[in-house]
Amino acid sequence: MIISKLKEALICFKAGRVTLPYPFQPHEPEGDFRGQLVVDVEKCVGCGGCAEVCPPRCIEISDPSHDKRVIEFFLERCTYCARCVEVCPEDAITASKEYETATNDRNDMHIRVEVFMSTCRRCGRCYEPPTPLDRLTVTGFRPPVGEEQP
Amino acid sequence: MTTAELIRRLRESFGPAIRSVAEPVAGKVRVAVAPEVVVRAAKALTQEYDARFLITAGIDSREERGCFDVDHIFSLDNDNIFVILRASVPGDSPKVAAITPEIPAAGWAERELQDLFGVKAEGHPDPRRLILPDDWPDGVYPLRKDVKYGDWPPVGDETTDAPYPFKQAPEGTSTVVVGPFFPVLEEPVQLRLFVDGERVVDCDYRGFYNHRGIEKMGDSELSYNEIPFIAERICGICGFIHSSCYCETAEEAMGFRAPRRARYIRGIMLELERLESHLLWTGIAGHILGFDTVLMQTWRMREPLMWLCEKISGNRKTYGMNIVGGVRRDIPKELHPDILGVVDKIEQEWSQLVNAVEGDTTLRARLVGVGMLPEATARAIAVVGPTARGSDLHIDARADHPYAAYDEVPAKVITHPGCDNWGRVLVRLLETLESVRWIREALKQMPDGPILSDEIPEEIPSGQWGACTIEAPRGEAIHYVLTGGDNRPARWRVRAPTYANLQALPSMIKNETIADVPITLGSMDPCFSCTERVEVINARSGESDVINHEELLARSRAATERLRRR
Ligand code: SF4
Ligand code: SF4
Repeated sequence: MIISKLKEALICFKAGRVTLPYPFQPHEPEGDFRGQLVVDVEKCVGCGGCAEVCPPRCIEISDPSHDKRVIEFFLERCTYCARCVEVCPEDAITASKEYETATNDRNDMHIRVEVFMSTCRRCGRCYEPPTPLDRLTVTGFRPPVGEEQP
Repeated sequence: MTTAELIRRLRESFGPAIRSVAEPVAGKVRVAVAPEVVVRAAKALTQEYDARFLITAGIDSREERGCFDVDHIFSLDNDNIFVILRASVPGDSPKVAAITPEIPAAGWAERELQDLFGVKAEGHPDPRRLILPDDWPDGVYPLRKDVKYGDWPPVGDETTDAPYPFKQAPEGTSTVVVGPFFPVLEEPVQLRLFVDGERVVDCDYRGFYNHRGIEKMGDSELSYNEIPFIAERICGICGFIHSSCYCETAEEAMGFRAPRRARYIRGIMLELERLESHLLWTGIAGHILGFDTVLMQTWRMREPLMWLCEKISGNRKTYGMNIVGGVRRDIPKELHPDILGVVDKIEQEWSQLVNAVEGDTTLRARLVGVGMLPEATARAIAVVGPTARGSDLHIDARADHPYAAYDEVPAKVITHPGCDNWGRVLVRLLETLESVRWIREALKQMPDGPILSDEIPEEIPSGQWGACTIEAPRGEAIHYVLTGGDNRPARWRVRAPTYANLQALPSMIKNETIADVPITLGSMDPCFSCTERVEVINARSGESDVINHEELLARSRAATERLRRR
């Protein structure tokens, strides 16, 4: 009994102190971490590729008028898979090293991108191919059949 | 035995009752039989060919062929063969003879079939609801195709509000209600123990409170390449297993395999995950028994492993590395020393721990001979993983049905003849060391090459299928994928290992004391996620007595303390 207690104590002493003084000392993740998304609104061309591949469907696209497209990221549902990062043809999305995402305001987790689309003067529609969608050449990306293309 | 021989012999015994046979991939056979002979055929498979029942998958094929398909999946472990026994039943009056009276392991699977597809399993010894909630209206079967994803069921009337028909307590026993959130299981479950004093006489089970409808999502919402990321969230501990299993199955259904390097990477990540899981489990088992030093120390050993996985994959736990066709991230040469460093350290510390545990008399007294699961029972209920191997059953998907890179780097199967909690504990402890060895070997042999296949077909025809098992830390998981239109499967069936193991619980805790229930459950590898209360109701007077989680834990720990003082 006593011996096994002593053995236990010995194991603990040998291990030493391992806890980190987090959060007083920040802890930077190593490697290619998939943290909170950062979107470069300047680069986005509104192709909609990211919304197509997002497994939990947290990227929404709407066209409030014929020459304006809104891409909204509702990141409270983001699973940090970084599929959107992978397919974005303009490298507009990056996964940062930020993981301290707890917040009181859910708006902190929303990103809104407004893109002005160039439209055909005659018919008022956006330009046809080659569109940035055609550049989504990442293997495995395939828009669902039978669904309306954005 | 080869599949050709199996088919020939089945044809001899059943003649024209065998309607069609398909073998799209070597070793995977689907035999469609007339519904009248399905019980006989299932019995023949298990008795004459030593097949093990895995799961039943219902399929709603009313649109294409006007019927429901009931696919019973069996595996012939010695020959690396999967047999799918298909009975097609008419869509307007769906019923099929239950195989449960012959094959007890199918008990839950057939209840699930009744719940979710409305295919009645006639002659089932326990046809109560398994998955659907108590107030779910009759006649709404969520996995049928006419129920759309996101539909809300109509509100049930009073008749559907009737209380769940729990089993009656046997004469002279009291009922101990554990749950609906049970402390040592990873799911919210309700367990009703019928006790005579301290002894458990029998029990009843009600679970699936947390059913998330992932299969429905897979066949009506997601696309092929979105499923791996959702599949990874089936389990918080063995998520990578599910995404790998889905990907391997989908690849098989589409007719190609991931490149070799990708398969090695899957294997390495799977073993890292097994290490993580076994270390976590050992800590929890220690905690249940009152050895908190074990908890602290194993979790300390585990932390560098979590950081390593974060470095490789970009996330501590949900690696997100799998997609259909391969993996998204490579394990470059520069990371090899990191991996080896971490696993070497674990091996060294783990060996000490195994020595300490093997020699600990208190632990032995708590575990040896407790939670008995004799080999024959284990076989009949078709338990899997360390629960089976602790009962001396030689089943391990890594050896029996090699996937990922296990065909090139074989894994050693570890068994123990104990048939008790001790056996299951030792199997896990030793498997940890085996995982370390495997990782080292795989890193050495890992070939160069692409990590994503270029054979992914442009168009995926519907009606193709695949079935694969993967050995998760707590047993084998099986996925069954049927391709469909719209870039998504027509059916994606998942069975997690606990589904099989939990069914063995009544026999494992029979004649044990309440104090031994937590560790017996724990020996199947649960998560300590749900902490709730226990209510004791005296069956005769109806008085109820509330015990909370702390008290249940305290009872378990007090049992250890008593032994220590002896
Ligand atoms: S990281 Fe994944 S879940 Fe998050 S927005 Fe991108 S695709 Fe969606
Ligand atoms: S994929 Fe990139 S460019 Fe296309 S909509 Fe998304 S963020 Fe914009």
